[in-house]
Amino acid sequence: MESAAADEAVLARRIMAVAPGRDRDAEGELYRRLAPRVRLYGLKHLRDAAAAADLAQDVLVMTLQRLRSGEIREPDRVVSFVLGASRQMVIDRRRGETRRQRILATFAADLPPSEVSGDRYTLDSARLRRCLEVLPQRERTIVLLSFYDERSAADVASEVGLSAANVRVVRHRSIERLRSCLGWSDDDSEGVQ
Amino acid sequence: MNACVAPLPMERLIEYWFDEVAHAQDSLIEEHLFVCAACSARSQQLAAISAGIKQVVAAGDFGAIVTGPFVTRLKQAGLRVREYRVPPGGSVLCTIAPQDDLVVGRLRASLGGIGRLDLVIHDAADGALARLEDVPFNAEAGEVIFAPGASYLRTLDTLTQCLELVAVAEADERVIGKYTFNHHRYAG
Repeated sequence: MESAAADEAVLARRIMAVAPGRDRDAEGELYRRLAPRVRLYGLKHLRDAAAAADLAQDVLVMTLQRLRSGEIREPDRVVSFVLGASRQMVIDRRRGETRRQRILATFAADLPPSEVSGDRYTLDSARLRRCLEVLPQRERTIVLLSFYDERSAADVASEVGLSAANVRVVRHRSIERLRSCLGWSDDDSEGVQ
Repeated sequence: MNACVAPLPMERLIEYWFDEVAHAQDSLIEEHLFVCAACSARSQQLAAISAGIKQVVAAGDFGAIVTGPFVTRLKQAGLRVREYRVPPGGSVLCTIAPQDDLVVGRLRASLGGIGRLDLVIHDAADGALARLEDVPFNAEAGEVIFAPGASYLRTLDTLTQCLELVAVAEADERVIGKYTFNHHRYAG
């Protein structure tokens, strides 16, 4: 088990240990750690910010409830449980909203209140606009087609007369330029705001 | 944050974001992102850039060279796109209406055999000049589609801009088309 997952297992055990009471600090910390990852999974698969936020809420509410009730038998595998629940809920969400409504009706009051609202992963549009303005033209076009139009490298390549491999290189370079311009690096990635 | 024991290269995270990895690899990356805060955070940066670009474009704050299929998809999605098709040497009266989402200038040109293409923009009023170097183009399409930011166009009153497509080779440059856009504020 990787060290990050080990930390989350410790939190899961703390939550289970005090049930039916509540360790709100452990619950809040577990939520803080895992909600962004579930939300990212939701963004990747649902391509909708509101739906991804809902997914994170639903999965974490259910996870906390299952920990409190002792239904998760292996707290060391709490991260795997969360990933599995995320996958299943995305499938369910594509089938309809029924399961989500049932979960929220049952567990909505159990969510750590301080963690419900707020979007950590928005950024300053004016700053991003300035960063986009200094990209070379070819990169601007490829960024537009990739992120706004959600086209794959192969699709973009066919439209701009480049090879897919070339588009991937240009796309990667432009993303690195944007990350740098936005003041992000690999080391301070918790700073996404 | 714990150090990542096996950080995923950014290229791989980008391919994952754009659904360009095989399903089995996709699952492995997901499992890693759930246990690795560092790689997850870098992926969240991609998600934030994606959402941010959508906002900037939707606000009309992003000008770029675009493609014909892209314009078609925007129109199919219900956006209102005002188009001006201009042949080499041509001029056009143009504007942006309140209900327009985007205005594009479709600069017709013979683009076969050209390696690098620059778009030079002259402002007839004050002589200001901008040069967009190495613009993307598809030679088969026979046009370059220029989409200025809609919010910028809305600030303009009356303005004439002369655009030139310039083929750039090692030894020389060759103007392959001049296009004049006479912009006026929308009068209804």
